[in-house]
Amino acid sequence: MAVGVRRMGKAEENKMGSEVTVPAWAVQAYSRWRKRRMAWFAGGICAAVAALICSPLLMIPGGALMDSMEMRRILSPILGEGEGFAVWHLLPVYPTMDHFYRLLIESPAFYQLFWNTAGMTAVILLGQLAVGLPSAWAFAAFRFRGRDFLFGLYVVLMLLPFQVMLLPQYLVLQKLHLYNHPAAVILPAVFSTFPVFVMYRGFTQIDAEILEAAELDGAGELQIFFRIGLPLGKMGVQAAMVLGFLEYWNLVEQPMAFLEEQAAWPLSLYLPQITISQAGFAFAVAVMTLIPALFVFALGQDALEEGIAYIGVKT
Amino acid sequence: MRWRSKRLLFLLPGVSGVLLFYLLPFLEVVRRSFLKSGSGAFVGIDNYRAVFENGAFVLAVRNTFLYMAVGVPLLMGISLVLSMLLRNLLFRRRLVSAMLLPMAVPAAVMVLTLQILIDRQGVVNGVLTKVSEQIAAFSAFSAIDYFNTEWALVVVVCSFLWKNTGYMIILWLAGLAALPKEVEEAAQVDGANRWQNWHYIIRPGLSGSFFTIGMLSVLQIFKSYREVWMVAGSYPQEHIYFLQHLLQNWYLKLEFDRMAALTVILSLVLLAVCLCLQNKLDSCEKREKNF
Amino acid sequence: MMRKGRALLYIMVCAVCAAFCGCGDKEEAIPMGRYADREVKLPPGTFSYMHPCPDGAYYLYGLDTELTYVDAQGRSREISWDWENNANIHVKYGAGVSDSGAAVFSYTPKFWVDEELEAMWLAGDNCYLYCYVDENGRNYALEPHGKGYRKGTNLNIFAFSPEGELYAASEDTVYRVNVESGETESLFATAGSVESIVFAGSVMLAADREKAYFYDMAAEKLLDGSGVLDDFLSSHSAGGLVMAVTDGNAQILYMACSTGLYRHIWGGSVIEQIADGQMTALGDTQRSPSALQALDNGEFRVMFDGNFMVEMYYDETLPAKPAKELTVYSLEEIGWIRYAGQLFQKKHPDVLVRYETGIDGDNAVNREDALKNLNTRLLAGDVPDVIVLDRMDIEQYAEKGVLRELDGILQPYLDDDILYRNIVEGMRMTKNEKIYSVPMMVYLPLWLGEEMYLEGEDGLEDIVAGVELARQKHPEGPILYTLYPKDVLLQTMPVCLPAWIKEDGSLDVEKMTAYYEAAEKLWELDSAGFDDAGRKSWQKNNTEYYAPTDMDMADIGFNFQYSAQQNFGETWLQFGFMLNPGTGMTKVHVTKQNMEAEWQKKELEDTVTFDACTGQADNVYWAKIIAGLCEKGEEPELAEEFFELLLSDEMMRKWWLDKPRNQSGITIRKDSLEDILDINNVEFGEVMGWKDTGALNEKMMWPTEEEKQWLYQMMEDASCCYRPGTMLEECAMEAGIRVLTGELTPEEGAKEVERKMAIEMEE
Repeated sequence: MAVGVRRMGKAEENKMGSEVTVPAWAVQAYSRWRKRRMAWFAGGICAAVAALICSPLLMIPGGALMDSMEMRRILSPILGEGEGFAVWHLLPVYPTMDHFYRLLIESPAFYQLFWNTAGMTAVILLGQLAVGLPSAWAFAAFRFRGRDFLFGLYVVLMLLPFQVMLLPQYLVLQKLHLYNHPAAVILPAVFSTFPVFVMYRGFTQIDAEILEAAELDGAGELQIFFRIGLPLGKMGVQAAMVLGFLEYWNLVEQPMAFLEEQAAWPLSLYLPQITISQAGFAFAVAVMTLIPALFVFALGQDALEEGIAYIGVKT
Repeated sequence: MRWRSKRLLFLLPGVSGVLLFYLLPFLEVVRRSFLKSGSGAFVGIDNYRAVFENGAFVLAVRNTFLYMAVGVPLLMGISLVLSMLLRNLLFRRRLVSAMLLPMAVPAAVMVLTLQILIDRQGVVNGVLTKVSEQIAAFSAFSAIDYFNTEWALVVVVCSFLWKNTGYMIILWLAGLAALPKEVEEAAQVDGANRWQNWHYIIRPGLSGSFFTIGMLSVLQIFKSYREVWMVAGSYPQEHIYFLQHLLQNWYLKLEFDRMAALTVILSLVLLAVCLCLQNKLDSCEKREKNF
Repeated sequence: MMRKGRALLYIMVCAVCAAFCGCGDKEEAIPMGRYADREVKLPPGTFSYMHPCPDGAYYLYGLDTELTYVDAQGRSREISWDWENNANIHVKYGAGVSDSGAAVFSYTPKFWVDEELEAMWLAGDNCYLYCYVDENGRNYALEPHGKGYRKGTNLNIFAFSPEGELYAASEDTVYRVNVESGETESLFATAGSVESIVFAGSVMLAADREKAYFYDMAAEKLLDGSGVLDDFLSSHSAGGLVMAVTDGNAQILYMACSTGLYRHIWGGSVIEQIADGQMTALGDTQRSPSALQALDNGEFRVMFDGNFMVEMYYDETLPAKPAKELTVYSLEEIGWIRYAGQLFQKKHPDVLVRYETGIDGDNAVNREDALKNLNTRLLAGDVPDVIVLDRMDIEQYAEKGVLRELDGILQPYLDDDILYRNIVEGMRMTKNEKIYSVPMMVYLPLWLGEEMYLEGEDGLEDIVAGVELARQKHPEGPILYTLYPKDVLLQTMPVCLPAWIKEDGSLDVEKMTAYYEAAEKLWELDSAGFDDAGRKSWQKNNTEYYAPTDMDMADIGFNFQYSAQQNFGETWLQFGFMLNPGTGMTKVHVTKQNMEAEWQKKELEDTVTFDACTGQADNVYWAKIIAGLCEKGEEPELAEEFFELLLSDEMMRKWWLDKPRNQSGITIRKDSLEDILDINNVEFGEVMGWKDTGALNEKMMWPTEEEKQWLYQMMEDASCCYRPGTMLEECAMEAGIRVLTGELTPEEGAKEVERKMAIEMEE
């Protein structure tokens, strides 16, 4: 690698022409200080961006606690009921737990749908691990004829919008007698090519030499997969799981099309057509939807990492 | 590597599922693209011709292409920069989780917040108007009607970026984490500056991720349709009338034949792009390996 | 190795394809036997409740009639309470009867006849009084009191245990009441209001809409609940649910609700449906069951409110599921169609009428999503037989061959002059001159106000001129009721919109511009009567209290009444629709009366009159319940029969007899309309209320002969169809609001609509 190199202490050299070198500890301290400054700078920017991204979300908790009258009043310009501009109060002037009460106490359906969503998401993610993970490994590690074409096909199938697949998938599900059953949403999602795509990327980063070496050592396919492939590609798996969770937690179109039985619906279909003035209830639902997501982010990622490490050790 | 039958087991369940739930439906779509909707009569490539001659199609393609041309690079660039910054930070995971939150918000609520903020008499305009009153430099500003002018596309792109940045950051981080650390450290010891680090080590290593994230950005563009539809309806302002609007409206009009034809055209384009990029990627990787 | 692997792959693929193709319905033997019902002739009186007795006998009681005992052979015996005639009872609310004939009921007294009573009443916060009648017919006042019973809590439901103990429930607690002393003990709390109580052995089972409570009366404690029953109750109680246990086998619980009859083994985990509601009287959503009796011989008696009782018996000769199924689809639930479905079901017991709605309840499915689902079904081949096209795009479905041509079916109706010809002709498609759908009802647009303003108006300019004149004479206050710009559009667009589409299907931009100009003028004129602050404060009032829906606004006379109620002022002119021949005319009369009343502060210069409203389009009617038949439906002959039922006199009469105050519209059947309005028609007259309906104090002000003829003439003339919910209307509304708020000029507004429609027409 031809890389330009710059020696420390160059300035000193220029000054006096002698070869006085700066003491090692000073150099290290200086570079550490620089690194820390960079880190703070980088951290600052990232925190600022994260804050910017989260700022519209701050409307949600406040809105969930705002009662309808206040909501209508501050939003009246948008509702066509006045001149001027709408304002938003981060904290409502008259907070109320009405919306939460209505949601958590007066709507038994909410709990049913919540567990529907949780169950569906969990089953889908597990299924994707069971099916998509080996597929991704196969694409990354094995060479076979038609691999590129098949993979390209996978990508195209992933990109197709649901509008076009709606009718044909409906026909397939009808034939399989799965219509109006949760499996109608779960099975296509389990076999989705999206996680394959994401996990594949994680696996291609692994050096081929390591795998060859393992093979020469006489390791079996499964061993190679579990002990080498999985731990090395775990970032890809993590990414796929997190993104998959986000997608299926708020899945709307497939349940709407394939599930007639309202008792089996996920939470995303619960919200009725909200007019802006009743936004408080919608915000309350959003809060209840976001909290589990936060949990998953906080706990899930760690659990996933540990799980993968555990499997890697055990096999 | 030798082909072993055990390896088949890795691929088999996935492929059979994809076959059943995705490929078979897709073939059905292809079949229907040659038939007339309603009567089922065979019409050859009439449907394709009808699609290409359709004015709405031209508009939709133009808009979608513009959206992609602006949105995808912006998203990839911004998220890449951020992930480079985030790489070695201590609170990385918390920050990334925070940036992922917009994706966890249900679409209906996101639409509500958007409406409240971006309406002609909404909060953003209110704030900007106040600012323009105070600061002479901005005094020429007047409330923008976001939904009814070209600004609609700006709003769509911005909300696309807002929602998907965290998403892409996760993927970039995954790609960056796989880069061998020793090489980078060695280069630093040798005194390489950051740009050289980037150009010679990181960028080639990330070429695979470029492909992945590019494709996923395109996917997210297609998926962003539902929010746009909930805010602006089936026939929105001209500049935000996308291919997905056209597909949905054709579906509502029972014109499945044209939908199918458009889908086939779209998939052929995507397949070509994908294979092309993959080729490039493979040759890139080969070069990198030799490096 | 490679070949083996490949072979495996191919086999897998073939297996999948085979599974995919091979799945299909196999021929099965038709199972026989299902529950049917026969109506039971009730003794004279109006009964709402039934109390089952152990030996197959039962008590009947109603809130206005006395207790009647019917024994197992059907002989009835009235138990009269002579004291009742002298008792101070105004309205009875709830009642309970014991096996021995004792009864308890809650009531409110005529408190105004007695000062002391009135004082007590006013202080007592509208609570009920209770009366206990023992087996011998002697009555005692029952005053519940005791620890755990808060004075003033209303007891809504009563049940006597087989031993004669009285249990009662309020909104949130179940009590045991000692009938002699009035000592009341609270037993346990409930989540909601208990609706049904049964006794089995020593256990009492009380059910509200979410949970079942098991109470051991001997041990005096609450037992564990049953998750299975709770789930069932949460999802099935909506239309009323009643329970019963047989005497012989107290381990089996039967439940009846609108979806059918169910059987549950006490403590078990399964609830089995033994009769489908749809094929029996239980499915009639117009009635809800009020009591259930399970007889030893396997039959059931179900009592409905409204003096109707059926006995359900198992008939081996009937097929378990009807051989044929008729599917009816509409986007939103329409009571009229459901009613027709049930009527058809009764006439054809071998057909199951399945009524499906696209939007089912209040959730995330909106109109486009529902249409997507419908289109998926249509494209997949699962086509309904009858389809109601309100708020759907009829032209598209007709063009794609989904709808059948109705000319053949309609010919006899038109030839014999049974339907109003022009209304039917108004539905003829311009493209191929055929009719694909027919509105069963219509609304007619009217204006109402003093003669000098709008008499003889013949178009939009006349309307504007009339409003101008009114404003000149009355500089302050409202002329029309237009609180928001949208209101102007809602009132005038229906009579103008049909004129905006030219013969060839393109938009008439000049007419639209003219409309927007006129609307702008109207808005200005109406706003001139208020200053800014007044209007704002009124808008604020409106948002904080009841905000009328668009349907409210469409009702003629509503504006006047509402704006007066809200202290907005009295309007001088109203535009609206007649939603019902009887009540609609009443509203017109009532509004006229109110306008002319002496206590109004305004002075009228002219008689108040009304007439059909003409805008840019003439002879407009608002089409409702637009029914069509699907080409590829499975049962075309049944669909035709159903269609004929919809258009039949029988259907129209039954509907109006049952629901005289509906807002479904004016029927397009000539003879039915004449019957409905015939003041001498005894059957209709009473129900339609052309007499004083005392209790509710509302007099129906019947149309005069002249007005009737006017209405018939209007129906004859109506020929221009207005259908709400089209794309054009939506765009025009949006642009219109922006025009009226000054954002766009009328030309720009029209152009904006044209632009949006252009994309739509391009597609």
